[in-house]
Amino acid sequence: MSDSTDLVTLEEAGTPAAGAIDEIAPAGDHSPVGAVEHSHPGPRQYVLIAIVLVILTAVEVATSYLEGHVNSNLIIVALAIMAAVKFFLVAAWYMHMKQDSAVFRRLFVSGIILASIVYGILLLFFSSTVLKS
Amino acid sequence: MTQAVVSSGASELEPTPAYGDHRHATNTGVSNSKLAIWLFLSSEALFFGAFISTYFLYRGRDATFLKGPTPDKLLNIPFTSVTSFVLLMSSLTMVLALAAIQRGDHRRLRIWLLATCLFGATFIGGQLYEFTQFYREGLHLGTNMFGTTFFVLTGLHGAHVTIGIIWLLLVWGRSMQGRLPTEKSEAVEIAGLYWHFVDVVWIFIFTAIYLIPTH
Repeated sequence: MSDSTDLVTLEEAGTPAAGAIDEIAPAGDHSPVGAVEHSHPGPRQYVLIAIVLVILTAVEVATSYLEGHVNSNLIIVALAIMAAVKFFLVAAWYMHMKQDSAVFRRLFVSGIILASIVYGILLLFFSSTVLKS
Repeated sequence: MTQAVVSSGASELEPTPAYGDHRHATNTGVSNSKLAIWLFLSSEALFFGAFISTYFLYRGRDATFLKGPTPDKLLNIPFTSVTSFVLLMSSLTMVLALAAIQRGDHRRLRIWLLATCLFGATFIGGQLYEFTQFYREGLHLGTNMFGTTFFVLTGLHGAHVTIGIIWLLLVWGRSMQGRLPTEKSEAVEIAGLYWHFVDVVWIFIFTAIYLIPTH
């Protein structure tokens, strides 16, 4: 064989060659971080999500006017659930968390969970001690 | 049949450019730029969480919270509902801009980007109008704890929306100059992720400040 570079097939190059390709491009289905992404939804689905978001916002505003007629705690729970659903819809469909790599989802959800824990503790601690003293 | 370039002596391989549309030749297998924006957004969740928590911490508990103009007399829920609707619609136009560039429709990309900026500017205009009204009613940053927590939280969110508008205008400018080909659609996707996050944050601010009963 000459010193010049020759084109050969992977099959001809044998198993070590296939392994080398994996090292160069570790983004396959067997990637350790599960970096598989799927195609994004189309405009029709985006418009449908927007309609749902608008309806939810209208229901939220209507719910806030029930103050004085319904238990305040019930209103707060209902509003929190609707806000969470709206958050999920935007994050999952518009930010493509549903279709994109799980790495992004894990990163973002970690931040949300961390924030919830830190500020949950802060609210519990300060509301029961500092502000009452 | 897949082919690779093999050096005759050391059997070294050069990478074949046969990745799928959404796969990247990085250690993680995902785009570094997208990884960076998601990390940034994750840190932004902690940033806004601090100010939303502070608002709840003082809401109705501190005696100074209601000294001066009170939230129930100042807050205009119908008006803010309209501006919230406008911001929600900007998320739709943003994602339509991304869909347009991904299918190579650059004309529609620019239209949707401008529509997003217009919606964003309308939201900011509404916020400035609201701030002016509150100021005339006697609510300043230091009037009471409501004034402090309200202006800081909504003001910081407004600053984020303004940065988003500038970012989208820069993307629009790149597209106008022909420097945003379809294969660089990730630039629109990253700007869009920031924009949607700002929208998501408003969903919680709107609920926390305007909708949850004060008493």
